[in-house]
Amino acid sequence: MIDPKEREKIEKAEKEWREKVLEPRVQRFNLPGSPTRFHSPLALKDFDFLEKVNYPGQYPYTAGNNPFDFWRAYAEEGARLGFRSDWGGAGSVGKYGGFGTASDYRDYLKRMQSLGRKGGPNMAFDLATQCGYDSDSPMAEGEVGRVGVAIDSFRDFQVIYEAYTGELDIDKVPSNFTINAPAAVIIAMYVALAEKRGIPPARLQGTPQNDILKEFIARGTYIYPPGPSLRLFRDTLVFCTEHLPKLNITSMGGYHIREAGATRTQDLAFSMAIAAAYLRAGVEAGLEVDRFAPMFTFNAFGGSMEIYQEIAFQRAARRMYARLLKERFQAKNPRSMLLRQPITAHIGCSSTTLQRTLNNLTRSVVGGLAAGMSGAIPGAFPPFDEPLGLGHSLEAVQLQLDASRILIFEARVADVNDPWAGSYFMESLTDESEQAAWEEFDRIEKMGGAVAAIENGYMPRAVARSAYEKQKRIEKQQDFVVGVNCFTGPNEIEVTINRCVEATYDPELMKTAEARQKAGLAELKRERDGKAVASVLAGLRQRARDPGANLMPNILECVKSEATLQEICDVMREIFGLAEPTRV
Amino acid sequence: MREERKIRVLVAKPGLDGHERGARVVAYGLRDAGFEVIYTGLRQSPDQIATAVIQEDVDVLGMSILSGAHLTLTRKVIDRLRERGAADVLILLGGIVPEADVPALKEMGVAGIFTAGTPVAKIAEFIRAELGAG
Repeated sequence: MIDPKEREKIEKAEKEWREKVLEPRVQRFNLPGSPTRFHSPLALKDFDFLEKVNYPGQYPYTAGNNPFDFWRAYAEEGARLGFRSDWGGAGSVGKYGGFGTASDYRDYLKRMQSLGRKGGPNMAFDLATQCGYDSDSPMAEGEVGRVGVAIDSFRDFQVIYEAYTGELDIDKVPSNFTINAPAAVIIAMYVALAEKRGIPPARLQGTPQNDILKEFIARGTYIYPPGPSLRLFRDTLVFCTEHLPKLNITSMGGYHIREAGATRTQDLAFSMAIAAAYLRAGVEAGLEVDRFAPMFTFNAFGGSMEIYQEIAFQRAARRMYARLLKERFQAKNPRSMLLRQPITAHIGCSSTTLQRTLNNLTRSVVGGLAAGMSGAIPGAFPPFDEPLGLGHSLEAVQLQLDASRILIFEARVADVNDPWAGSYFMESLTDESEQAAWEEFDRIEKMGGAVAAIENGYMPRAVARSAYEKQKRIEKQQDFVVGVNCFTGPNEIEVTINRCVEATYDPELMKTAEARQKAGLAELKRERDGKAVASVLAGLRQRARDPGANLMPNILECVKSEATLQEICDVMREIFGLAEPTRV
Repeated sequence: MREERKIRVLVAKPGLDGHERGARVVAYGLRDAGFEVIYTGLRQSPDQIATAVIQEDVDVLGMSILSGAHLTLTRKVIDRLRERGAADVLILLGGIVPEADVPALKEMGVAGIFTAGTPVAKIAEFIRAELGAG
């Protein structure tokens, strides 16, 4: 890109600078090298703006998915109206949450609605549900209703949605389900509910997480081995493409992988490898990639405190996904190539500290700045009391919202698309990030793809090793964490404020949740038609043996006959087997 | 010089919580600090943990729980250990443990609670001090 004569002049100037300015200074301070770096035009080799960046909303989307987002269109108006973005409404979901029995969660949702928070349910499920167990399973003891709501049957699902009727009915508000291994069962419940209410399932909106492969390397709520898990994913993909055109098929992303300890390169490469496995599943099922890829979304990638690198990561991720779809999967529809995610850069919850928690507010602002500079709303995520346990205090949420608002309206950081475009530093960093990710991605493809790289232990081991390397760097003070491994002396003080944790996870209700859920389950089993249940489960068992068969119709039948979540999952356990926990 | 028997540690993940970064990092760290470490992996029932404690003949049991089920699960594991005469093992806990729950856990028999930000070196030091290994 630079004229050769100009390049020569700059190279000469750099040589002189190193000899006459940099080296002497490094020597004078008796250092092994300079603690800083500088990037001149020499850092950019073959920089073609239209090929590498292009305009926001144009392939390869490095500068962003569009010239401005929905939130930005109405930001000033929202400010004048005092609009609370975190409550959902206007076709979005509310705050991620859930706890207790279905009726506990329903009552919570109704309470939120009475406070004017009319967003759709953004459902967290308890670990028993996420792992395909009913509340009366020995595996579920102590876990029922804790990290989310307990769902044992279609009955429970219907109870929750008693909060969404009339103007908030499910053809008008979307739902998010953070569910992976039994996603097929929850999607079936959503369809069954629509049918029961006389609503065409084609009008259902929302996003099931439905990203089972990352569970094996980060989150741990898997049931079946990777191969059969991918088969079930394929079944949901095909079913959604044919019957639920407004429901996102999956919400992928390396967020969990990075939080489990992965490096940035691993985060991006493993995410893309997993996306490729899902895309391939659809293509091998006989669907044109452009028919279903537009309904693929991303949840988020990971984050860190290193904002330059996180901004570069986001630019590289958008470009890499676009290239993946266009060059490797021959997608033609631009919507297939868009990396759609609700947020971009952030610090990552694992960057927050339990020590001197208010510092997490400062940290989150760094993340918000990075987000504003990488194509998203400058969200200061997470609220400062994240490490203190489930439930954010009113104070932490207020500070979080105000920090975002300050970044939007006072710092005006989101008024410029991709402000780093053309920066010698940022463009070379973006190129390096993308290149490293492609190398790792191709290494995984050579192994046979994401499933193979899980089964042979490659991805899980890599993440575990990175986590340990990071811990060692912290304990050796090679990486610094303020208030944890440095500046912890007796002259430092812990600044605290009173917190009023919003009573979502009511401890009194928690105490009896398991017992109440078990009682409901017993009642269900007494009341339902046991023969019909056995019959539909047998049908599922039979079909599950055929790897080419789509199990969604059978699962839907089972759900409607009031087979429990575990009964359905157990049939598949018989046929698919259980995942082996990875030894690293 | 007589070779000292290495202190044996079992790192366990009881219940359904699938977050094992902390458990793995502690396992690797204690191994590098000179302990003999076995990591159980995910989804261990209280019975499986008690069996592992006995079969592996460990001196220390470290459990990691982030799901909020720590009071129930810790109680169950300690009960199993007592029933099988193996409750003399040094019991440590990590994960997400609210301050308010610490007294109850100590009362159950948990000797030390090490949550986010704890250097592994500190855990190693604690173990050595508790076991009188200098």
